[in-house]
Amino acid sequence: MKQEIEISVNGSRVRLAVEPGRTLLQVLREDLELTGTKEGCGTGECGACTVLLDNEPVRSCLLLAVDANGRQVTTIEGVSRDGQPHRIQQAFVDVGAVQCGFCTPGMVLVAKALLDAKPQPTEAEIREAISGNLCRCTGYAKIVKAIQACG
Amino acid sequence: MEEVEYFEPKSVAEACALLAERENAKLLAGGASLGALLKSKLIFPEALVTLKSVPGLREIERTPGGELRIGALCRHREIVESPLLREHCSVLAEAGAKIASPAIRNVGTIGGNICHGDPTADFPPALIALGAQLEVVGSGGTRVVPVREFFTDHYETVLSPDEIVVSIRIPPLPPRCGAASLDLTKTHNSVAIVHVAALVGVDERGRCTHAGLGAGGVASTPLHISEAATLVGEPLSPAGIERVAEAAMEQARPVSNSHASASYRREMVGVLTRRALRAAWERAGKAPADISATRGREEP
Repeated sequence: MKQEIEISVNGSRVRLAVEPGRTLLQVLREDLELTGTKEGCGTGECGACTVLLDNEPVRSCLLLAVDANGRQVTTIEGVSRDGQPHRIQQAFVDVGAVQCGFCTPGMVLVAKALLDAKPQPTEAEIREAISGNLCRCTGYAKIVKAIQACG
Repeated sequence: MEEVEYFEPKSVAEACALLAERENAKLLAGGASLGALLKSKLIFPEALVTLKSVPGLREIERTPGGELRIGALCRHREIVESPLLREHCSVLAEAGAKIASPAIRNVGTIGGNICHGDPTADFPPALIALGAQLEVVGSGGTRVVPVREFFTDHYETVLSPDEIVVSIRIPPLPPRCGAASLDLTKTHNSVAIVHVAALVGVDERGRCTHAGLGAGGVASTPLHISEAATLVGEPLSPAGIERVAEAAMEQARPVSNSHASASYRREMVGVLTRRALRAAWERAGKAPADISATRGREEP
């Protein structure tokens, strides 16, 4: 039976009726057409589905949409403003930290959460923060550099 | 999975009643473990009972007598960052810091980590070494179960279908003690191959007053290595450490899988036992305020 929920998504209040077994990832991609968040492994291990829930990184593939009721969700679409890239996104571009781009939304959101809490993280803190986001392309070095460039 | 029924009880009693009424209901805490089981299509519950609106399950407290009480819904991140735990029981912060990834630690709970019953889970070895107990509530009443008696098989515990773990109780620790939680993993946050946690207490004359050891990844459940208790009464010696390491290897019933062979797991539980006991002993030799939450990751 569908449940009525209200979520703040990238600053806008959204009201939905969802089946309780649907994940936040499904609702974001299929109901709200916010396809920047990706499904990789589907079991919470790869980080491609990362979104910010009340400014904390979480796995949207494991979170039931009903459990986001009354809370704030930030997806990659909410990071840029008026079509202008966020400085983190610009740093990724400038440093060359994007190859296929599949891990990038999750990486940018994790970086944003880290930099909001710690404006000048050490390399160890950066590596710990992104430790749950897998990248098959870059070998992580430029991703770390891009985040350091924002510090 | 999509059409599952979803209930949001407002009390433990209501949650137990819901679990008792429905044959195929699962309790939902943080969703880190349950979510993975659902997504992998390993279980097909008809109903989910979430604890998110039940009050009183998220506190970390220390009683005047020195007992620590941790609410079952405390998230791993809260345990790692808790000033109270870092001061009085830093081995739990050490164990929690190794779980999965920051995103999982933001939602996963200690109650879920224990009740999921994974033999490689990060908290049970430390809880076994600490002599921790679980406060369990069901439709029939309340009971207390020692963590060392809680697990029965892979992903199985002594809980009845309508029972809920509401808190974890750590008994008062000896005034001078040290503890260490060490794990062997392939990569930074991957599932532990083998996990050993040790607690030792020492008196002013350097004799061991208290010893506990828990091991994970070497049997169908986390193990309580009872031989550790024989260390009490004397200073820790290489012979004593070796005796307990041999006992851990003897007690292990490891299984080979894609992560590691049974023989390697057995060998490594001995190695980690020696290192965990030495690390705990060294930490006990310092003044209580010096017991710091350093990462006990295996050093080469």
